[in-house]
Amino acid sequence: MQKIEAVIQPSKLDAVKDALVEIGVEGMTILEARGHGRQKGHTEFYRGREYSVDLLPKVKLELVVKDEMVEQAVHAIITAARTGKIGDGKIFVSKIDEAIRIRNDERGEIAL
Amino acid sequence: MQGNESKGGGLREVYQRKMLEIRGAFEAGALGVATIAARSAAVDELVRGFWAQGVERDSRLGVGITLVAVGGYGRGQLFPYSDVDLLFLLDTKVVEKDVKDAIRRISQEMWDGGMRVSPATRRLAECEKFDGDNAEFTMSLMDHRYLAGDTAMYEKLAGQTVPKLLQKEHKAILGRLVELTGARHAKYGDTLFHLEPNIKDCPGGLRDVHVCGWLTKLEKIAAAAQKRAFIEIAEDAKEFVQAVEFLSLVRCFLHYRNERDDNTLAWQVQDAAAEAEVGLVGRRPKKVDAAYWMRIYFRHARSVERRVTQGIEQVRPAPKVSKLAGLVRSGGTKVRGRLVDATQEGFKVEQGRVVLEDSADGDDPANDPDVVLRVFATMARTGCSLGREAEERVSEALPLLSAHLEEGPALWHHLKGILTGEYAGRALRTMHALGLLELLIPEFHGIDALVIRDAYHRYTVDEHTFVLIDTLHGLETPQSGGMAEWAQRFGGVLRELPHPELLYLLALLHDTGKGRETGNHALESVRMAKSVLGRLELDSYESGLVLGSIEQHLEMSAALRRDIFDAETVRAFAGKVPTPEALKMLTLFTYADINAVHPDALTPWKAENLWRLYIATANYLDRSVDDERVGARAESELVHRVSALLPGQKAEVVKYLEGFPERYVRTRTPEQIRQHFKMTTQFAADPVQLEFRYAPGVSELTLVTPDRAVLFATMAGALAAWGMNIVTADAFSNRQGVVVDTFRFMDSFKTLEMNASEHGAFVASVHDVMTGNVSLEKLLSGRRRARRKAPKVLVETRVDFDDAASSHSTLVEVIAQDVSGLLRALSLTLAAQGCNIEVALVDTEGETAIDVFYVRRDGAKLDKEEQRVLKQALLEAMDENAR
Repeated sequence: MQKIEAVIQPSKLDAVKDALVEIGVEGMTILEARGHGRQKGHTEFYRGREYSVDLLPKVKLELVVKDEMVEQAVHAIITAARTGKIGDGKIFVSKIDEAIRIRNDERGEIAL
Repeated sequence: MQGNESKGGGLREVYQRKMLEIRGAFEAGALGVATIAARSAAVDELVRGFWAQGVERDSRLGVGITLVAVGGYGRGQLFPYSDVDLLFLLDTKVVEKDVKDAIRRISQEMWDGGMRVSPATRRLAECEKFDGDNAEFTMSLMDHRYLAGDTAMYEKLAGQTVPKLLQKEHKAILGRLVELTGARHAKYGDTLFHLEPNIKDCPGGLRDVHVCGWLTKLEKIAAAAQKRAFIEIAEDAKEFVQAVEFLSLVRCFLHYRNERDDNTLAWQVQDAAAEAEVGLVGRRPKKVDAAYWMRIYFRHARSVERRVTQGIEQVRPAPKVSKLAGLVRSGGTKVRGRLVDATQEGFKVEQGRVVLEDSADGDDPANDPDVVLRVFATMARTGCSLGREAEERVSEALPLLSAHLEEGPALWHHLKGILTGEYAGRALRTMHALGLLELLIPEFHGIDALVIRDAYHRYTVDEHTFVLIDTLHGLETPQSGGMAEWAQRFGGVLRELPHPELLYLLALLHDTGKGRETGNHALESVRMAKSVLGRLELDSYESGLVLGSIEQHLEMSAALRRDIFDAETVRAFAGKVPTPEALKMLTLFTYADINAVHPDALTPWKAENLWRLYIATANYLDRSVDDERVGARAESELVHRVSALLPGQKAEVVKYLEGFPERYVRTRTPEQIRQHFKMTTQFAADPVQLEFRYAPGVSELTLVTPDRAVLFATMAGALAAWGMNIVTADAFSNRQGVVVDTFRFMDSFKTLEMNASEHGAFVASVHDVMTGNVSLEKLLSGRRRARRKAPKVLVETRVDFDDAASSHSTLVEVIAQDVSGLLRALSLTLAAQGCNIEVALVDTEGETAIDVFYVRRDGAKLDKEEQRVLKQALLEAMDENAR
């Protein structure tokens, strides 16, 4: 089992969710986030006041999938989230030791 | 022993058979109240049987011990899997340890029969005491019923002990009951709107029904003790009785389905209840779905919640004086510094509750729509509540109110007073519960208790509307917590709104279309709102603003799901909000709309994104004014509407409008544009045409004249000479060179307010200045300037240029401390530098002046050097003016 963490543009969330559901991934956690990489923020002026955006709004998805699903899921995220511009985001993949369903104590892949 | 066991087994078998019969009867259509009474009777028989057996086994049980049913069982109301509350009452002579086993055996027999028993053992003397930490025991004791054993001791309990206890401790018991109810309601978020409500413990549930009964009992005793009248709500009030029956039926359904004491209406249960049409009477749709069924549930729960709230209000101490401060303005009197009754015609407020005056000559104030609506405006303004009697009288008067209700500006005036009050949500909920809101706005009926069945929407559509209005009013006061910063920013936007009442009207009507199943509720809501606004007789600008906002009310949320830093997203969204006022309304509405979906829906993350989109769009609107102009062959709806007011002059109207920025036509009503057009037809007689509209707060003066140099500066100077503080202004010109300059200003010396006769002199003076008959410099030197107060907030001066905002002008934006003479100083400087003002947008936010000019010099944009020189000149002029 592996955990996929994807930081994407908020405007791409619906497309990424749909793409994942289409390949059979339905369980995921979505978090509101802020951040930046090479994409810098900018400054907006309004009524004489400066409003700088250093940390841009992002969305982070977290999902745990079976090993054989990882590449498919990563590909689905990339295809749906990519615009080609700086700020598209990043994906991180890490190994998961165990998964447990709280309701009935199921463990392992069956708990996914 | 074996004989006893088989007797016990026999009793249990009889009981189980009876349970099956009761269940059969329920499934065949028996009422909930009948089902729980039947189970109670069956348990009586069983318990008495076990008691008799117990006495046979141990004769000590038969002396000095009484078996009493308490709690729900005492009321004769036992749901299929509810606990059975028993009280073993012991005489002082009985040694408890001698009878302990016998008592335990009876409970055990019942457990063996599949029942959950809650036994308590007490002496009579113990029942006389009230323990605040175990108030539940006293509450259960209030519903006592003889089952078996020592009758004399029971009579003592019923005739002396309990009455004495209640007499002595009614205050403490009432207080504790109110506290416990409040804590229970708070545990459920103080709302009855849950996706999967617990029908026993949630607000509006069966526990609240019991609370109503206890409150009545205790309040009656309290009234007798204090020698005051006790007004009892008829226990057989139809709506309440129907609600109790419905909830009882549903709880029986839940118990039988789950086969345990589980009172949660989970989603699957809702589906099953809808399919079985549980509790539905009368007309219903062909196919009853869960959303429809839950709507019925919420209506009943609301009726119970209303009753328990009334009951608690009746016994609770009066609210603090600060909440009633608003009443001082409406005629309250202060006695020794404390606000006492506030009286208005037809009603007064006593101890935070509205009390209607008695009927006089057969005229009940409750029948007078004017009185009733002023009651609710008072509630909205001060947070006071409606007294029980007043509520009943208003409820009964609805048919008469309907007959006498006057529509039009009078109704709008009342509605405005209610909507803009700080406690509007409270007043509106009460009006809705009484049916009064639907009387005024029948379109609201479609969303009464309407359920949106998904995991995200917490509230029914009507409650969502009220929560939205509460959220907007919440922006008026400082908040704490994670949202404090955003509440402050959006609160600032709310304070800038010229017509906040329109925002609240938008909030009230925006989802009325959800009652129609057409798929596009925004358009349906527009249709509903049109008929409402027609009845209120709002003018076309106000109607246009509200209807446009309703139509677009989902657009900002939709834009937030796109890339808000993409110029195209901002441009597309800006196309949907024609004016800065519309943008502010939609922004505030969206903030509150998100918050009203679910308590956790509005996060600082979402608020920040909303803010970003708002300022980007506001800047876009200001920067696109110059380029977006009315064309020569304009066929817009506005052109048609103006032309309709001037029959036979369409060509002249189109010619007049050609070249004006779109902003001009979008921010004026057709009637105003007609007036300006008519003013141009008078140029031959007098080229300087002025229109003055006085208002106690902000007055307005519009100049329509052929363009010439220093026009704007001269007008600004003429106003400054009279001590007028310009709040906002705009200046537009058309292709023919006609300018329309509008100034909105406050009268620093209150000259116009205190001297109506000076209005004519004021306009004449400005006219003389504009025609050159009077020297402005002379006028300025002869008049005193408004005394300058030390600023509370220091504003840093900025002058910025934007070459890209317009294709043919340079945008100059000046942010500075708002002081008198500023606008004149700026416009004179622009003129001195050879700049022609194409468009001016002047605004004030607190102590900040925000002035935007689109300028050209010799028919072209300003180059960098010209910008540098102009900036220097403007800064010097502002410095000079400030001194």
